[in-house]
Amino acid sequence: MASLRLLLAKPWIWSFIGAALVWLATVTFTGGYGGGGMITAALSLAVFTVIVGVGQMFVITLGPGNVDLSLPANIGLASAVAMKVMDGNDQMIAVGLLAALACGMAIGAANYLLIWALRIPPIIATLSASFIIQSIDISYGRGLQIKPPPGFADFANRQILGIPVLAILTVLFTIGAAIALQRMIYGRSVLAIGQNIRAAWLAGVNVGRIRFLTYTLSGALGGLDGALLAGYFRGANVDIGNEYLLASIAVVVIGGTSVAGGKANVPGVWGAALFLVLLLTMLNTFGVSAGVRLLLTGLIIVGVITAAGGQKALR
Amino acid sequence: MKKLLVLSALAAMLASGTALADTSDKKIAFSNNYAGNSWRQAMLDSYAIVTKKAVADGVVAAADIFTTADKEVPTQAAQVQNLILQGYDAIVINAASPDALNGAIKQACDAGIVVVSFDGIVTEPCAYRVVVDFKDMGKQEVEQMAKFQPKGGNLLEIRGLAGTSIDDAIHAGILEGVAAHPEFKIVGSVTGDWDQTTAQKAVATILPSLPEIVGVVDQGGDGYGAAQAFAAAGKPRPTIIMGNRQDELQWWKEQKEKDGYQTWSASIAPGVSSLAFWVAQQVLDGRTDIPHDLLVPYLAFTQDDFEAALPKIPKGGVASHEYTQEDAIAAIKANIK
Repeated sequence: MASLRLLLAKPWIWSFIGAALVWLATVTFTGGYGGGGMITAALSLAVFTVIVGVGQMFVITLGPGNVDLSLPANIGLASAVAMKVMDGNDQMIAVGLLAALACGMAIGAANYLLIWALRIPPIIATLSASFIIQSIDISYGRGLQIKPPPGFADFANRQILGIPVLAILTVLFTIGAAIALQRMIYGRSVLAIGQNIRAAWLAGVNVGRIRFLTYTLSGALGGLDGALLAGYFRGANVDIGNEYLLASIAVVVIGGTSVAGGKANVPGVWGAALFLVLLLTMLNTFGVSAGVRLLLTGLIIVGVITAAGGQKALR
Repeated sequence: MKKLLVLSALAAMLASGTALADTSDKKIAFSNNYAGNSWRQAMLDSYAIVTKKAVADGVVAAADIFTTADKEVPTQAAQVQNLILQGYDAIVINAASPDALNGAIKQACDAGIVVVSFDGIVTEPCAYRVVVDFKDMGKQEVEQMAKFQPKGGNLLEIRGLAGTSIDDAIHAGILEGVAAHPEFKIVGSVTGDWDQTTAQKAVATILPSLPEIVGVVDQGGDGYGAAQAFAAAGKPRPTIIMGNRQDELQWWKEQKEKDGYQTWSASIAPGVSSLAFWVAQQVLDGRTDIPHDLLVPYLAFTQDDFEAALPKIPKGGVASHEYTQEDAIAAIKANIK
């Protein structure tokens, strides 16, 4: 009982409860048919939201006003860069992935440069950066879909006993991210800056360096995500990252990370990403129309955030 | 007497139907609100090919292309106002909204500028609308499906961008087709937004709960994504109607070579932009008999001719068709009842 209460006190548990409820509702509707397939589909699709969600989580944790709105454009450009470098050739997969990572890191670093050197608020800086990135992408990719090499597409779609390989790798990555957040100096510094930037600075945290690293990390994860998306969906295109503007922020918030910064957790990102995909599964299975689906998605997200935020403030 | 002269002149004009006023000194602008996908790129390419030749041949003085990047209505409204000030004689427009631009369009008409909209049409009555017969396309999809799946069965429908006239028209056509073919039943419907990624995601989420599907009826741009989703879920491959994208036709070709897979492909040709250009040119030419609403055919490929078209489509692009002045005159004629 005590352990249950301890579990319920975790801010991230609500996103998993939400995901489980939505899944149960869908399976009840279909009479138990297709429950396993739904989880496989949810895992394969949630992976992409988790990767950018973790990047966004670190940025948001830096404190009020910190957010990376350039992720969709970043994903689009990196997907094109990765596919062009790979050029349909299995030997170039690693090089293509590195190119996408480098592209994302450059974007992240440029974002921080705008924020730091020109003192532009992060929202404006990353949003205007995304216009520039998108224009580069359009002239670079000419709006064409560029196909991945067969080996990379197979890898992105591979499953072991119904569990996507990408999901397993992403679980390992998120465990690493959780350790970095809670146990390493870098993560503790991010939390400290988010709680009080001045106090963190006085305590000797190199605020500028940590913020630079965080925006670069978010950019790098966006770049990686772009390459993986292009592999999974078999083609890079400008719009491939569009939905991750809202989704990356939503999973952070639903997952129990504080929008005000200074308080974060990694498991919640997984729970929230699964919740969002299963929600789409449920509404598609129920056969509601597009308008009603958007309406319900909005209402349910508000509901979950309210439930998750219901706990007493600790300070 | 004078009245009679005017009337007979008018009659002569109607009879001949072409080249009364000279358009060689006319300037036509193209206002476009987005360029970020393969369809829009092909649309711009087709337009550029046709208009470059028209300018070189001296048919018109200028045909300039103006693209705003962000799909936003206010940006395009401002752009149209700029084009009015720059003194263009006609504006060909792919509009960001069917009604929100009407104010700017009306200003253009009042300034004596001919406005021809296509794809993203405007409802302002003074403008011309070049519209593809999407309802018939939806109906044809089910007709074709009946040929490939004579026994009938369950269908999955992939819808386009919610709230657009195109989505409504294709959907209505599909419903009409299913009503005429009661052996088919639509058991699931998802929104694919004419986008491969969105469609694949939507189909992947609904597939586990669906019974066996014999066919997928869709709106173009979503067929390849649907095929990927079926493969990823380990479900048998249904008959998927395609939408003229290179990757869709390429996939079709691979399946055909493997086991004689049959399907059908249809979509609005991006080159309809060039048709809109010629319509504008015809109006500037002095023709007054052109209906403001022009219904034009869609571009379809069948089992027999899609492989011939495939090499001509750029990798990752979409099949297009450049229309000629004669095509435009024929299309106008078909719409005069």
